[in-house]
Amino acid sequence: MNEWEIAASVLGFALIPCGVVALLAPPRHGLASLQVASVLLSTILMLLSEGFHRQPFIDLAVVFAPMSLVGGLTFARLMERHL
Amino acid sequence: MSWREIVALVLLIAGGILELFAVLGLCVMRDVYDRLHYVGVAGFGALLIAVAIVFRESFSLIGDKALLVGTVLVVTGPVMVQTTARSFLEREHGEWEAQIDRSQRS
Repeated sequence: MNEWEIAASVLGFALIPCGVVALLAPPRHGLASLQVASVLLSTILMLLSEGFHRQPFIDLAVVFAPMSLVGGLTFARLMERHL
Repeated sequence: MSWREIVALVLLIAGGILELFAVLGLCVMRDVYDRLHYVGVAGFGALLIAVAIVFRESFSLIGDKALLVGTVLVVTGPVMVQTTARSFLEREHGEWEAQIDRSQRS
């Protein structure tokens, strides 16, 4: 296990508190938690790509990073009035 | 270990610590506006890790795309935070900008 895979594992465990906050806190707090978790997940995909020397992981990160922005903005817009 | 690998390792550790700090801040803070600040911190951690990958790989396909992802996360983080905070304010106070305009006119 190289240092990139270790870092990916550590950040993977760091997703657990984000999930706990998203599940237990009110919805607005959950959205903040979701946004931090999406940044973490993009980073984990980068680390896995470097650790395994597999390009598909970095392609996933390239797609996921802008999509997380779109998702976050959509939830923010929905929470403004409807949720 | 070459100097490039050492720099990459230092950047990797710094980025990882910054990301863990963001998660810690998310858990410790109680106000939602305080919690939103840590999205930007996590973005900078991702950028540091992307630069670490570039130091290790040079400008290869993985390095270029990692730099792209890191830049996207740093640039879009504040946009997302500002938009989210604005929508929370709208939810709490209604059309608060119109109220400010009315109070300035009177």
